[in-house]
Amino acid sequence: MVSKKVILTGNFGVGKTSLFNRFVYNRFSDKYLTTIGVKVNKKITEVDGEEVSILLWDIAGEVSQDKVPVSYFLGAAGIIYVFDLTRPMTYENMDRDIDHLKQLLPDSVVKIVGNKKDLLTEEEMESVMSELTQKCDMTTSAKTSENVDDLFQALGAELLERS
Amino acid sequence: MGNQNDEKMLSMLRDILLREDRDDIADIKDYLDDPDKLAERITPIVEVHIETLKRKFPKEYQKHVTQIIERKLKASQDELLDVIYPVMGKMVRKYVNHQFISLKENLDETARNLFSIKRLKNRFKSMVFGVDESDILLSGIDKTTIEEVFLIERDSGLLLGHYTKNKTIDRDVVAGMLTAIKAFVEDAFSKERQELEMIEYGTYKVYIQSFHLYYASIILDGAITTTEKDKLSARLLDFAESEMQNLSLNGELGGDSENLSAKLKEYFENGMI
Repeated sequence: MVSKKVILTGNFGVGKTSLFNRFVYNRFSDKYLTTIGVKVNKKITEVDGEEVSILLWDIAGEVSQDKVPVSYFLGAAGIIYVFDLTRPMTYENMDRDIDHLKQLLPDSVVKIVGNKKDLLTEEEMESVMSELTQKCDMTTSAKTSENVDDLFQALGAELLERS
Repeated sequence: MGNQNDEKMLSMLRDILLREDRDDIADIKDYLDDPDKLAERITPIVEVHIETLKRKFPKEYQKHVTQIIERKLKASQDELLDVIYPVMGKMVRKYVNHQFISLKENLDETARNLFSIKRLKNRFKSMVFGVDESDILLSGIDKTTIEEVFLIERDSGLLLGHYTKNKTIDRDVVAGMLTAIKAFVEDAFSKERQELEMIEYGTYKVYIQSFHLYYASIILDGAITTTEKDKLSARLLDFAESEMQNLSLNGELGGDSENLSAKLKEYFENGMI
């Protein structure tokens, strides 16, 4: 079985740990507990009949990605950059953050994910999408689990393709 | 008629004047056309030149050769590190061992100077079984055992191989978390070239030994002396030298995790340091 390290990163309170918990344990909590340092867990997903072991590193949120210790990123095959669809400040620096991540890990798969989809109407969603300077790969809701599995399926498929 | 005579005269004159030169040219042509003859003539000259070059080479070319070697070393530092890491480790271990022998001798000396019933008992045991008193003193402490061994890719934290005495929680997650803790500590204190070497919790200890592309993490139950740490380090260096060299020669780790885990079992199954 192929094992891959995947990083969950982004600003404070965007729902990285909620996505992590939804994906790994299929659970959700409204309580906000800030992540200290990093938390690691694993989930095996099946893509087209082939299993991929995803070692998911949930990194403490930072206002800017250049503040995250570089050692956490080393060896990562995939990056999930999460922003909060309801808070513009979490995607205002997206260009700079994505540039930084691509410079650090030029060969890795980067997925840009807008979370907390359940809190937006369709019109609001369209408005947010028009403000983005980078292509959003997926919009998710850790609360309702919408698109969470699809996100990891898509990532798993790309990781398998590149391995 | 006059012209023909002139030609004849000129030809004779040429023969007289150039005979020696023509003979020489014929000789030279003869040598050039016959490789054996040519080799016979040239070999001694070439040999003299080679000898001269050998003598003058260090002086004439040292600077250029040094520059080429320096460039080559800089370009392939990673490969070089992989090759010399275990060897260097052994050299360091040898030195540390030497220091330990001195320490052990001091311990023996101290033990000889002590006067107590326990001391007399130990001395009696030492005499009966022919064991050093310092070893008897150390054996009073509970034996430390190896519970688990992890071989982990240094950057990604992905597990390369694993040995455990008992079934434990998910070993991949443990490998990832150990890497995260290691990265956190090393980053937090950011001392250049310093590595996290030991984590303690209760009676358990996590001994960490870093190599260039990977690190080994050994979970121990019980106290560990510096001598034991040294022994453990030596075993890991032996393992690295015999089992890991081929996996990391091209600067990337690859290989069969199951095979590596089986090798780890062979090395550490007896559970003793």
